[in-house]
Amino acid sequence: MKIRNIFIVLVGISIVFGQSGYEITKTLDEKSKPKNMISKTTMVLTNSKGKTRNSVMISKTMDNSRRQLIWFLEPKDDKGVSFLKIEHDDRDDEMRIWLPAFKRVRRISASKKGDSFMGSDLSYEDMTSRSLDENEYKRLDDETVNGRECFVIEVTPNASLKSSYSKHKIWIVKDDLYIIKEESYDKRKKLKKEKSFSYIKIDNYDIMSKISVKDIQKDHKTDISFEQVKVDTDMSEKIFQEKSLKRLPSH
Amino acid sequence: MIFSNRPHPIRSWIIEHVLANPKKAIALPVLFTLSMGLGINYLVIDDDMMAMLPETLDSRMSWDAVQDEFGSTEVIFIAFGNKGKTVYSSETFSLLWDLTKALENVNQVEEVSCITTISRIDSEDGFMEISDLQPERDLTPPQIDKIKEYLISNPTIKKRAVSESEEYFNIMVQPYEDIPHDIMRDVVVTIGDSILSADYEIHYGGTAYITGSVPTMIRNDITILLRVGLFIMAIVLMVNLRNPFAVIMVFSVIIQSLVVMAGFMGWMVFMTGSERFYFTIVNSSMPIILLTIANSDGVHFVAKFFKEMRNKKDAKQSVEVTMDTLLVPIFLTSLTTMAAFLSLSFAPIKQLMGYGICISVGIAHAFVLSSTFLPAAISLKKWDMNSKAVTRPSIFESLITYFGKTVSNNPKLILGSGVLIATAGIIGLLYLKVDVNIASFFRQGTEFRDSIDFIDQEMTGTMDIRVRLEGSMKNPRTLNEIVNLQDMLENNKKVTTSFSIADVVKQMHRVVMDDDPDFETIPEDQGKVNNLFSMYSMSGDPEDFSAMVDYEYSVGLVTALSRVMSTEEIISIVDEIEEYVGNLKSVGSASVTGMAVVIRDLVYLVVQSSVISIVMSVILIGLITSLFFKRIAWGMMAIIPLSVAVVINFGFMGLAGIHLSHVTALLASVIIGVGVDFAIHYISQYRRLSKISEKNALTNDVIEDVGYPIILDSASNMSFGALLFSAFIPVQYMGGLMVFAMISTSIGTLTFLAAMAELLKNNLSER
Repeated sequence: MKIRNIFIVLVGISIVFGQSGYEITKTLDEKSKPKNMISKTTMVLTNSKGKTRNSVMISKTMDNSRRQLIWFLEPKDDKGVSFLKIEHDDRDDEMRIWLPAFKRVRRISASKKGDSFMGSDLSYEDMTSRSLDENEYKRLDDETVNGRECFVIEVTPNASLKSSYSKHKIWIVKDDLYIIKEESYDKRKKLKKEKSFSYIKIDNYDIMSKISVKDIQKDHKTDISFEQVKVDTDMSEKIFQEKSLKRLPSH
Repeated sequence: MIFSNRPHPIRSWIIEHVLANPKKAIALPVLFTLSMGLGINYLVIDDDMMAMLPETLDSRMSWDAVQDEFGSTEVIFIAFGNKGKTVYSSETFSLLWDLTKALENVNQVEEVSCITTISRIDSEDGFMEISDLQPERDLTPPQIDKIKEYLISNPTIKKRAVSESEEYFNIMVQPYEDIPHDIMRDVVVTIGDSILSADYEIHYGGTAYITGSVPTMIRNDITILLRVGLFIMAIVLMVNLRNPFAVIMVFSVIIQSLVVMAGFMGWMVFMTGSERFYFTIVNSSMPIILLTIANSDGVHFVAKFFKEMRNKKDAKQSVEVTMDTLLVPIFLTSLTTMAAFLSLSFAPIKQLMGYGICISVGIAHAFVLSSTFLPAAISLKKWDMNSKAVTRPSIFESLITYFGKTVSNNPKLILGSGVLIATAGIIGLLYLKVDVNIASFFRQGTEFRDSIDFIDQEMTGTMDIRVRLEGSMKNPRTLNEIVNLQDMLENNKKVTTSFSIADVVKQMHRVVMDDDPDFETIPEDQGKVNNLFSMYSMSGDPEDFSAMVDYEYSVGLVTALSRVMSTEEIISIVDEIEEYVGNLKSVGSASVTGMAVVIRDLVYLVVQSSVISIVMSVILIGLITSLFFKRIAWGMMAIIPLSVAVVINFGFMGLAGIHLSHVTALLASVIIGVGVDFAIHYISQYRRLSKISEKNALTNDVIEDVGYPIILDSASNMSFGALLFSAFIPVQYMGGLMVFAMISTSIGTLTFLAAMAELLKNNLSER
């Protein structure tokens, strides 16, 4: 029994450690993810002078965040505003916003992937899951981050992707296979953003609990934390439509 | 030893030691010059006009707050295009794109604002889109038409990006706050000139461009003309002294004093790090002023030496007598001039303190050199007793004899004429105007001025006025007050456009309301304003508003761009705005700043500094002279002609329409610095000769004795009339006024002071 276990581990190690950048990323991409998720999200933006803006929102996502509904609870000025995003493969993403004071829903468009999401340091491109075949992967030398052994992969978007970045460098924890650190470089190949990620285990899923993004060039920082996370709920696909925007869910 | 009266122990000690150890007397001051000169390596040149304003001044505090909250507000404009050719072509857009990207890649540039970087907000079928106005480098004709249509429907944006004739693009380049403007100017011009081919007209403007260009240009201009002036000075001295060694000696004193002054400035920066010792635009006059003062010391010594040589035919004896006669007056002139310059410490412009201290060190060194180095060097030289320099009086010396007789014979007439001229000067003072606007430093028709004028006429103008408002920038009442404030600003003919967060709110409101122009207003309730900002934040760049509102929406900035205004216009509009914002109800506090306000405050500071400096100098000179000569009458005699010369000079400026600026205002220092020298030399010789000369011949004897060096000093300093050929109007004025100041101080001393002394000789004689 023991010998068999050791054999399995050794085979596993040899598979993992001999993998190319593409294979490691593919393994990461194939990790099981929740069907849907509900969370209370707190976002703190800090500018170069140390001034901050705080937002609290309820977020419901499905299909690995390809469908997303956000209701703002705080700050007071934004309370009641809500946002719906549905990503499409064959056309521009659909985004709508509910403006309670105007009693109107407005469709909005970020024609550039590099546009900021809600004034944060995350762009829509940062929030969209990377399609495996639209990037090239190069494995670099392994490194240790916060005492954890990591694969280091350089990800270069294909020209067809029209990315706002020239490349990314990602650090994937070997044990758990999730990204704990990422650096993104602009088109001039200068470091643009540094991101770090923390996770919690919920129902065998590695769920992101904190994201910290720093725009090096603007000296601006965004800290996002996810609380009261629920996964694989009985959420229906039907809620991702315009009329849901007007109803603030009880959390 | 040959002494004219009882020798003072210190004076005789100096004379004895210098003549006994001439090599040591040369080596020690030269070594001092060299060691001080090393400090030049640490000299800091600072062209920041803002640095001249005290940190506690309201407009300076507002300025600092605005820079801190919104980044640098001093920008450079680049306008390019061609007369008679539309900018709406693919080629011009590509160049605009290339130029923008090149500027954005530069470390000194914080932001570039032009069609390439502006975001457009569109509304179509309930769909709001925030996108780039110029989506890519190479545009198709339909894309160009789309941009054109957008600009037509958004005239405020169009005004900032395209000329009214649609023949030129405008680019606004914002540097980082800590980038010196001269560096920024070089970077922008280099990139602009390299990208925009010879096929395009390029014009630069904006306060950062002007303040980045002008101080260096003025300094370079003054440096070249100073060399010309020195050359002419050498010729004047050579013609009169007729001995190259004597001219070299005078120049040695001048150059060593300048080296010590500049080196001391550098050492002070090195040791204290204080900005007070930075070389700023106000310090530009320092070399000329010290030059005239050091020249005075050298010329008086050498002229007296030759006069003594003519009688005694012995170099060492002549040096002894010259030292004995001149050590005291040169010491006293140095002391009073130093006191006059140190009085600048009381001026509100902090760099003037460093100015006063450093120039005083230079003056002190000129005294040391005239008392040690100069006599020692002269005593070591083997002189040809048959040379013309020794045997024959110079042209000026012959003239002065006639002059002395005229004054002695007509003292009342001369004094009366002087009083009349002084009265005209007082009247002229009433017409004296202040102008510190450096855009008006250039004559129309010069390349630099044409460029500024172009930006003024075709684009949004070169100057800016900023109003910083505290209050909720999401409150409709506040926003409406901002709209009204902008209307008030734009009512001024010189203001070309204004922008603020209120403009953005109005534009977003229209977009949300299906692009209905009726809704280009501030929404009536705050909830709607909040929603508009939330909507924008969903896809717009959070930095888009950073030039108009702070991070917490609690401070807003209204920017008005204007054509070049005269200082009077600036004062008027700033006062009007201050009164207007003082009556705003929804705004917690409001302050006006920007280059226009800085200029206004600088005007007050320049005038205040000049008045303080003049009054303090006159008091100090009067006190020192009274104490030294132990009679108040002598103190009065020293300051009266000096004050008259100041009044006549500034009165002449008023009558001739020459504006008082931070460059010309310091002319008072030249007048006082040189004028006091002349007065003290005159008084000193008057006192000395009153003990030995006949009463009726006294004035004539004094003028014959000191008149020549005074006239020679004055004539050689007039070489700085070369500054008349400067490209800068204030520098030209300075050249002309230098000549005028030399005439008024020298002739004033030899007429006004001489006539007064002649009339009061029974009381003043020390026989």
